[in-house]
Amino acid sequence: MTFKLPAIDYLALAPMLVLFGAACAGVLVDALVPREWRYHVQVPLSLVALLASGGFVVALANRKEHVVTAGSAVVIDGPGLFLQGSIVVLGIVALFLVAERRLEPGGAFVAQAAVVAGSEADRKQMRKPGVTEVYPMMLFALAGMMLFCSANDLLTMFVALEVFSLPLYLLCALARRRRLLSQEAAVKYFLLGAFASAFFLYGVAMIYGYAGKVDFRGINEAVLGSSNSKTLLLIGLAMLAIGLLFKVAAVPFHVWTPDVYQGAPTPITAFMAACTKVAAFGGLLRVLYVAFERSSWDFRPTLGVIAAATMIVGAVLAVTQTDIKRLLAYSSVANAGYLLTGTLSMNRDGLKYTMFYLVAYGFTVLAAFAIVMLVRDSDGEATHLARWAGLGRRSPVFASLFTFLMLAFAGIPLTSGFTAKFGVFAAAVGGNMTWLVIIGVLSSMILAFPYLRVVVLMWLSVPGDDTPTVSVPGAFTAAALFVGVAMTLVLGVAPNQALELVNDAGAFLR
Amino acid sequence: MSTVLALAGEVTTGEAATFYILAPIALIGAIGMVWARNAVHSALFLVLTMLSLGVFYILQAGPFIGMVQIIVYTGAIMMLFLFVLMLIGRDASDSLIETLRGQRTVALLLGIGFAGLLCTGLGRAVGSMTSVGLDEANAAGNTQGIARDLFTKYVFAFEVTSALLITAAVGAMLLAHVEKVKAEKVTQLEMMRARFAPGNYPAPKPGPGVFAATNSVAAPGLLPDRTVAGRSLSALVPTRELTEAEAAPKGTEK
Amino acid sequence: MIMIALLVVSALGALAAFLPAQFARFVSTGLAALAFGLSLAMYATGAGFWHEYDKPWVPGLNLRFHLGVDGISWPLIVLTTLLTLLCCGYSLWKTPDSRLIGLLLAMQTGIVGAFLALDLVLFFVFFEVILLPMYAVIAGWGGPAKRAAARKFVLYTLFGSMLLLLGVYLVVDQTGSADLAAPKGTATMAAFVFLALGFAVKAPLWPLHTWLPDAHSEAPTVGSVMLAGVLLKLGTYGLIRVAIPVAPEAAAKAAPVLGGLAVAAILIGGLVCLAQTELKRLIAYSSVGHMGFVLLGIATMSATGLQAALIGNLAHGLITGLLFFLVGAIKDRTHTGELSQLGGLRDSSPWLAGILGFAALASLGLPGLAGFWGEAFAVIAAAQRGWWLGAALAAVGGALAAAYLLRMLRKVTHGSSPPRLTGPAGYELAAWVPLAVLTIAVGLAPLLITDVTGPAVDALVEAIQR
Repeated sequence: MTFKLPAIDYLALAPMLVLFGAACAGVLVDALVPREWRYHVQVPLSLVALLASGGFVVALANRKEHVVTAGSAVVIDGPGLFLQGSIVVLGIVALFLVAERRLEPGGAFVAQAAVVAGSEADRKQMRKPGVTEVYPMMLFALAGMMLFCSANDLLTMFVALEVFSLPLYLLCALARRRRLLSQEAAVKYFLLGAFASAFFLYGVAMIYGYAGKVDFRGINEAVLGSSNSKTLLLIGLAMLAIGLLFKVAAVPFHVWTPDVYQGAPTPITAFMAACTKVAAFGGLLRVLYVAFERSSWDFRPTLGVIAAATMIVGAVLAVTQTDIKRLLAYSSVANAGYLLTGTLSMNRDGLKYTMFYLVAYGFTVLAAFAIVMLVRDSDGEATHLARWAGLGRRSPVFASLFTFLMLAFAGIPLTSGFTAKFGVFAAAVGGNMTWLVIIGVLSSMILAFPYLRVVVLMWLSVPGDDTPTVSVPGAFTAAALFVGVAMTLVLGVAPNQALELVNDAGAFLR
Repeated sequence: MSTVLALAGEVTTGEAATFYILAPIALIGAIGMVWARNAVHSALFLVLTMLSLGVFYILQAGPFIGMVQIIVYTGAIMMLFLFVLMLIGRDASDSLIETLRGQRTVALLLGIGFAGLLCTGLGRAVGSMTSVGLDEANAAGNTQGIARDLFTKYVFAFEVTSALLITAAVGAMLLAHVEKVKAEKVTQLEMMRARFAPGNYPAPKPGPGVFAATNSVAAPGLLPDRTVAGRSLSALVPTRELTEAEAAPKGTEK
Repeated sequence: MIMIALLVVSALGALAAFLPAQFARFVSTGLAALAFGLSLAMYATGAGFWHEYDKPWVPGLNLRFHLGVDGISWPLIVLTTLLTLLCCGYSLWKTPDSRLIGLLLAMQTGIVGAFLALDLVLFFVFFEVILLPMYAVIAGWGGPAKRAAARKFVLYTLFGSMLLLLGVYLVVDQTGSADLAAPKGTATMAAFVFLALGFAVKAPLWPLHTWLPDAHSEAPTVGSVMLAGVLLKLGTYGLIRVAIPVAPEAAAKAAPVLGGLAVAAILIGGLVCLAQTELKRLIAYSSVGHMGFVLLGIATMSATGLQAALIGNLAHGLITGLLFFLVGAIKDRTHTGELSQLGGLRDSSPWLAGILGFAALASLGLPGLAGFWGEAFAVIAAAQRGWWLGAALAAVGGALAAAYLLRMLRKVTHGSSPPRLTGPAGYELAAWVPLAVLTIAVGLAPLLITDVTGPAVDALVEAIQR
């Protein structure tokens, strides 16, 4: 039998191919370049690759031609390009945080992860430069995320899911300080992630059994026209949803979030909070809007309950946290709920504002973690909230910035948080999910409390002896912080450009 | 060509018989793998399960994946795994202390509940309907069908899998490999020199002294004048001075 | 343009707090005075909007930068800028902290913005902006239990604004427009209920008032003045400007409930006041009663009632502002607000006792002073509407006000004579005199207000009944 390779539109795949290529080059750099040069080669290489990838995304967006390519495995459409673009941009900002080496000699990553934590050798490597494999890992993850947002069938999506998850599991284990916590986080994330992947795969099999196809258009047609009993479809959809909801950290699949966010090196936490969220919701949006739109009556009530639980549990547990990283983790859980609310509106506005929310939240959370990186004492980052008391007197500038970011998280007007929340809730009201909006609004009231508590703690408490100092950020962190804060402000005060962008992105290509 | 391929939706007697024989074995293997304390036993149980699964695949019209399962997974990967276990040593067993009280019970209950939920759902689905897609996939033969899909529809996914493999390789190296710096490698000659260098004590370190009332490594060795022999103190074990009562004769000296 | 100038001046005043501490507070206070001047300069006559400015801001969110001022909002804007100016002047000597003055001006920006906003979303944006400065004022400069009080304040206010937000969503979803200049008036009951609840928390309407006494008793003097004088007005203004016009049919149906709750607030506020032992809490609860009259006026949805509500709003702002300044002065001197420990003010400080008596009389609605008109006309409007029982009960509530205020006066001014207290400082007089003068002026010539508000109210009533 003969078959010929399908036509591949390499320009359409270029944003991903560039990153894959650069990641492979990065692995070679680690193998061939002398140790002291690696950092200085890897960082520019990654940055150039990301910029090139972003350039290709822009070029594709200007081409205004939506294509299905590589044997219908990849679809390049408006929302897909927007999501790819946001992943690249947020990835660049996260790369700044990862590349920071001023705050701590050698950066936030351990020099040799295999050395037993706490041993003599571990103490010796304390001041050695961190591993440089993090850069190719990050590029692999970013490329996987981009593919995840533009996959056109469940199989490609699954491969992409693995491609972006595996590097993240590894990156979690590479913290320079509190290494046992970091390793524990990685193991937890890996085990639970593996379970979620298994669910996803099982779901794909069920869907195949129902539709005889795994590409989104085929599934959509099957849902529309099939006379089969729906049981297989529903089981498959539930399994798929579990896999995806795990990645977006929705309740009850959120239990890994606080531990992993706390244990992972802070730049990686920021990377996960911003980019993984975009990718996971990008995938979820595509699956729900393209493949299963016709069965929205089946999944909307269930996913609605999950969204409500996510918002409430995230908000309530955030109130009880005493560690800033865990607090941000639970806030990320609650934000997943708001994003789900937008997603479930199942209308044009829902798609638009969910994408807007993803970008707005990404920038804010990156800036917030950048500040978490700065607040440190001799033991590294001082993440316990009690230590933040009185920070406003010690360093008013950073405390002001953090206050602004907290207000953005709380959704106060004139920040991107308000614009984004307003958008998704309005879309959900338009999509007849008013009950979910009521819960969302109430939970965001609860969620405002932990943020306000941090603000009050910083400004109204008297600094103690153990109040840590805020380190002077290096150029990289300063850049990340600036971009994050500026975007939070711009998207709050003048979001027109961004809203036009999501508007022009249009709908998914089916 | 398609002699081994079963028709979708039709279960022959032979297939049913094989299933009912092998399914419990596969299950026992899976449970045994988790249950066994010894890593080698675990691995062997896993081999059992995988072999049974391989037979299932072949029975259910997937000869290619069945063969791959047996040759690659069972034959190559698991054997490699066993090799490593044997080389490293198989003494290590997991700690079985529950850090969260009642966790195991809860996990068991929830697990059974979930399995029940899944089985009833699947049971209904399988009982009431036929699934589609098998005939289409196997239309031109199973192996050929997989080849066609891999190199046409899913060629990009197939290529991208290489990224996964690179990541896995780099990750394994990152997490397992300790790099030895050349300067830190000490030769036998250097160790000897260091041992007899002035200021070092070449003989074995003293154990608990002649007059010591205990032979615990935590008790410092005593010199004949009942002073503590400094060299007998370990840097790792906290020193324990005996109380009067503990040091007193215990009536066994007669 | 003058409206934008007013907002910009206020915002600049808030930002001026970041200047070097030496002259920051003087710059801020100067800008507050400028803002007051600008707000006066906005005066015009007529039924429509005197000034209007409309520009799209975020079209995707239905957010337009639509400002306007008319007879309904202008008096409240002037009241806001006046009270802010007085508070700034007061703080200049009392608590010379540029941050406090900056926060006051930030609050003014939000409040004036909300009064000016003619777009529902814009209104909400300004409404939210007020929350944080007020929180910071209570939590930063308040009394011993300031944290708890501030938290309660935020909890309630956030709750209110979230309900308001839900109402905004529903209105925009149902009518497809967030315009307040000419609202479509087709929103449903659900939207009205959310909006009204949101405003009721702010106003505060019984039984959603429990945050008010705590916030008042712990807030610093200027905080209490701003809270009672201006912030509460947002709730009633919101009902008049937002909730009723966007959903007149639903409002008409809900009016008896609103009226009933207002009467309950009047009575319960009065009764609770009789049992109060602390000066600031007493005045706070009296606010609940007074705002009850305002809400009763609004609930009638007639021209008389709305006029009464507007004039009552204004009078309450003036009188309660004055009362809180006076209580602040008493607490500064005696270091206690407990009625049982106060006493003999008549002997120790006759001037303070005199002006306190004046303010109390104004508050209880003595004819000839500002408090009378709003309450009397609210009762009349209720009677005209046919709510005889409500009108009678509200009148009884008015009598209760006389009872508790006279009880308060007796406890504070009479009794054993403590040592003489120091006389009024210049900055205190500067804060009191304008308020007292305005109280008399409005009391003697209510036409000053009704002439301004009249045309706008008539237009509003016409629009509702259409």
